[in-house]
Amino acid sequence: MSRVAAVGLLTGWGEGVAALPEDAAIAAAGREVVELPRPAVTGERFRRATRECLLGVASVEAALRDAALHTSDIAGADTALVYVTAAAYGAANRSFIDAKAGATLHFPYTAPSAVPAEVAIEFSLRGPYLILIGGAAATLDGLWSADRLLAQGRCARALVVAVETFAECADLYERARWLAPRPLVEAAACALLVRDDARSARGTAPASGLDAEAARRAGSTLACGPLVAAALARAGGDEHPAVTGQWRGRRARLALDACDHARAG
Amino acid sequence: MAIVGAGVVTPIGGDLDAFWAGLDAGADGVSSIERFPVDDLRVGRGGEIKKLPAAADAIGSECRASRLLAVAAHDLLARATVDASPSRVAVVVGTALGGVEELEKALGGDWSVRRAVGGLYDSPAHILARHLGAGGPVLTVSTACASGATALGVAADLLRDDAADLAIAGGYDVLCRFVMRGFDALRSLTRERVRPFDRRRTGLLLGEAAALVLMAREADVRAPRLGRLLGHASISDGAHIAAPDPEGRGLERAARQAMVEAGVTAADVDFVSAHGTATPINDRVEAAVLRRVLGGRAVPVNAIKGALGHTMGAAATLEAIMALLAGRHGAIPRTLGLEEADPDCDLDHVMGSSRAGRPRVSLSTSAGFGGCNAALVLETAA
Repeated sequence: MSRVAAVGLLTGWGEGVAALPEDAAIAAAGREVVELPRPAVTGERFRRATRECLLGVASVEAALRDAALHTSDIAGADTALVYVTAAAYGAANRSFIDAKAGATLHFPYTAPSAVPAEVAIEFSLRGPYLILIGGAAATLDGLWSADRLLAQGRCARALVVAVETFAECADLYERARWLAPRPLVEAAACALLVRDDARSARGTAPASGLDAEAARRAGSTLACGPLVAAALARAGGDEHPAVTGQWRGRRARLALDACDHARAG
Repeated sequence: MAIVGAGVVTPIGGDLDAFWAGLDAGADGVSSIERFPVDDLRVGRGGEIKKLPAAADAIGSECRASRLLAVAAHDLLARATVDASPSRVAVVVGTALGGVEELEKALGGDWSVRRAVGGLYDSPAHILARHLGAGGPVLTVSTACASGATALGVAADLLRDDAADLAIAGGYDVLCRFVMRGFDALRSLTRERVRPFDRRRTGLLLGEAAALVLMAREADVRAPRLGRLLGHASISDGAHIAAPDPEGRGLERAARQAMVEAGVTAADVDFVSAHGTATPINDRVEAAVLRRVLGGRAVPVNAIKGALGHTMGAAATLEAIMALLAGRHGAIPRTLGLEEADPDCDLDHVMGSSRAGRPRVSLSTSAGFGGCNAALVLETAA
């Protein structure tokens, strides 16, 4: 079994759960999208990297701060990387489609794998690797997969990273408003999972309503939602956090400490 | 995990039988692209499916990716029975591009909601699940051109964890202007023929396809099966955004971990289905990895991208299916386009014609943008 050892959370409201308002809908004051600025990640290697790539890197840095770990602590083949997004590839796809010329250097950044690639390169992660596309339910699948990798001994720790950006495709989301309630809040989050065999004896915790709190306080963060909930659980001192997610009519639930992976259609 | 059956649609055949017959006969699925303009590109050829079988219409979507999946699903369901409660049937598909062609259309002036939603990379998986009435987990994997392998691995894990009783898993991708423009700009596309591992290789050509398999826990299967997925692994390079690790360390770790999970050693591997894109660097790196993993053993190796083009998200699933069919039919298809093996890619290549042989245990390797590497170990049913 695994436990969440740290969560790095960046949202359009700021860093960490302390920055979250009590009610995102009120705080948004009519804004459709609450943007998350391009983070101040520096380095020649990042000169072509997209905003979402840098957000992925910044979320891992935030998780390392939360865990009081150094980059060297996670480098190598013992760290798994699971990346999830519903839509963070949209901006790069759109700008490539809109570009008149070939945009040679831009094309690789249109792939969803660009974000975890930059994360893996920056932190020298060479372990198990998974990229899932979807909203909160996909993140729960990602957490399940990370837990599995830990249980199998394929890694010593796992990073579950989610990034969502909306600003560049706001007009497209306007056409499909039913996909997610407003405000759409850009976010990047990273949960550090480690193996914790002692937790298995405690069993599955009941749902604690953190999904609703995450949605109320953060707004629609799609794939980041379960990680917002995990951050709220940690901030609240909850030893048995459970998070739930819903995406396009399908629900999923997973208790982070016991990884009870259940779904209802 | 048992692989009960398979269904495909490819540039060399619209179903599994035609796919195999084409591979065995050395059919070339590469042609001039006709479905969208390519006049402004350096290269306008690829593995385009000229006419989709009628089963594509059944899915009720104009999205070509979803239509390819519908055809592959129709072929699969003609060969295997989905005998489980709908809520216990999972759909796990891999893709490099998702519904990006729908996004192109949305941005090109079609302001309908279906285009905007169709541009999401997980749309085709959900459309397929709805079409099939599958109410279990629906996952979209996007480890670039290794997606079709990772998807099979994830499906196996879902079954192993009892999150589903059956999994319809595989990969797909379509040829569209988006991806043609991208690879054309990268100058990865060859103006010649695709020649995996050949001394004269100059690059890849893209293709489109969908490939699905029906997977179940071995103990639950009573019907004849195609084979088994014995082991899988997906590993990050952490080296470069678009190029493989120069030493192939990630691909090597993936292959070795998949073999460990499968409980096999190099001595057990009868056949390797290589990624074999025909780009100068990829083939050299992959050949070196295979030599290390196989410990210098002469194991037959092929790469089917010479026949199909690089079908991206579908590629690894097609290659896995091909490996299982090779064991069933007692023939290993040739690497089309390979005539003069590169000394830097020294392997026991299957060249010229299909080679007689009935591989039991096969290793399939895949790699993609973002430092994605994946490996599968498969066993053909006795």
